[in-house]
Amino acid sequence: MIAPRRPAWARVARVLGPAFWLLGLLVPLLLSGSWISILAIFAIYAMVALSQDIVLGRAGMYDMGHAVYFGVGAYATAILNTQLGWPIFATWPIAILVAALVGVVLSAPIVKLRGDYLLVATIGFNIIFVLALGNNVGNVTGGPDGIFGIGVPHLFGWALSSQGALFYLDWLALAAVLLLMRNLERSRVGRVFRYLKEDELAATTLGVDARYYKILAFAIGAGVAGAAGTLFAVQLASVSPGSFVFTESVTLFAIVLVGGQASIPGVLLGTALMFVVPQVFRGLAQYRYFAFGIAMIVVMVLRPQGIWPRGRAR
Amino acid sequence: MTAPAGEGPLLELDRISISFGGLRAVDDLSFRVAQGEIKGLIGPNGAGKTTVFNMITGVYRPDVGAVRFAGEPITGQAPHLIARRGIMRTFQTIRLFTGMTVLENVLAGQHLRTRQSWWQSLLGTPGQRREEAELVERTLDTLKRLELSEVAHEVATSLPYGMQRRVELARTLVASPRLLILDEPAAGLNDRESAALNDTITSIRDGGVTILLVEHDMNVVMNVTDSIVVINFGKKIAEGGPAEIQRDPAVIEAYLGQDDEENAA
Repeated sequence: MIAPRRPAWARVARVLGPAFWLLGLLVPLLLSGSWISILAIFAIYAMVALSQDIVLGRAGMYDMGHAVYFGVGAYATAILNTQLGWPIFATWPIAILVAALVGVVLSAPIVKLRGDYLLVATIGFNIIFVLALGNNVGNVTGGPDGIFGIGVPHLFGWALSSQGALFYLDWLALAAVLLLMRNLERSRVGRVFRYLKEDELAATTLGVDARYYKILAFAIGAGVAGAAGTLFAVQLASVSPGSFVFTESVTLFAIVLVGGQASIPGVLLGTALMFVVPQVFRGLAQYRYFAFGIAMIVVMVLRPQGIWPRGRAR
Repeated sequence: MTAPAGEGPLLELDRISISFGGLRAVDDLSFRVAQGEIKGLIGPNGAGKTTVFNMITGVYRPDVGAVRFAGEPITGQAPHLIARRGIMRTFQTIRLFTGMTVLENVLAGQHLRTRQSWWQSLLGTPGQRREEAELVERTLDTLKRLELSEVAHEVATSLPYGMQRRVELARTLVASPRLLILDEPAAGLNDRESAALNDTITSIRDGGVTILLVEHDMNVVMNVTDSIVVINFGKKIAEGGPAEIQRDPAVIEAYLGQDDEENAA
């Protein structure tokens, strides 16, 4: 079709992606239990960070309340499973749909706001969301303690109860999200997001309905975050408001900027820095925010496009 | 005055005015653009030319008056709805999408022809991929026509100025507009480039596109336009063919009344 001249490193990166994923399949065979769960958590947060990147890195909207959609997905699964007895897999599509719907409802009134104003509005959403969870709104969220005893997923009568089985589920879900991101880059929707980010006026004079596409970016980003929320609830077997507070949103926001906006390897690298590296240096775990804070400053000063910036062309 | 063949005018401005903070930027302005003509809009700096363009394309809404396109009122409609009717524009200060290739930039002009829905975009269905291939092919054809094939995969904003202008033009042309609005297309071009621009503009018109342009380069204005509207302080002071306009005392007065280095040509 088209053959853009591509630098050598970009070709390497194309092979690197699938190789990285395939290598991950060996994790449950080679590593110990705690490592399996660390990397399962990595896969889940990578999905959330990629979904943040759809809104922030691609569509260019300063969404600093993304933990809300992650939380909506997690709580949807927790509530449906523990209170109504739904199987985990039955709760999954609902978690995705509800999160996407919340994304539409919350973003619709604010997408016309300029970047910094939108950012403050999304922080407001996050604060209210956590307050509502803590105050046990509707008597279903379990208050500050959250919800315990979330079951394991069953597939054809087989319980995915081992850490290895859950890891494979998370790893497959991550693959699906990565494919979705790749498709986005090769499609009208992905291009329009970037047009809006770079020059909204020029885009609208070419016929782009800015409002529709901005809300769509929130809907897709929220839906993916909701999907990750289900996996998070299953992984921890519980949910509580503390996992979805405003500082979590700040972390996700920073992962995208530090890793590299609209760059899949960049976002994965940023997620690893934030969630895996601290586990490697267990003794230093309490300093992870300190280390990440330093990294944020250094990268923004020396390398404002992020550690692994987006390659040009597609 | 205007004596076009055919039915009604393609574009009609009917007594439009707009003020910014008490200042009348455009004052009771009316003119028509006939199907298939190249119309020039000229005037000294600050006369309100770009403001007129912004009112046609929905960026500003006129305080009073009406804009009609192909007989239908479009006054104050959102820019994307106006684009949908077939009105495309370029900008005085080039507005390309930063960091994106020439191909990606020009693909934006195909937005309204694209049929794939958002879920097809996400899933990468076979139909969606086929459409993407077609879009790219059609875009490459347009790039060829404007001698941009060589740089299709270069980052658009890193190109020389004259080329960036052509990229912006290509982006509007792939949309197959009915009316093309060019805001100072020769600004920043060298003599050779601006001569080539004359040919390009004429050939676009010959392809069936009506053109309305603002330009300071008199070489372009006098050679390519069929008729010219002159405005000063937001008011129309003259309208007619290029030769007629050059002799018009009111126009000479308006231009001589200020030092204007751009008229050197």
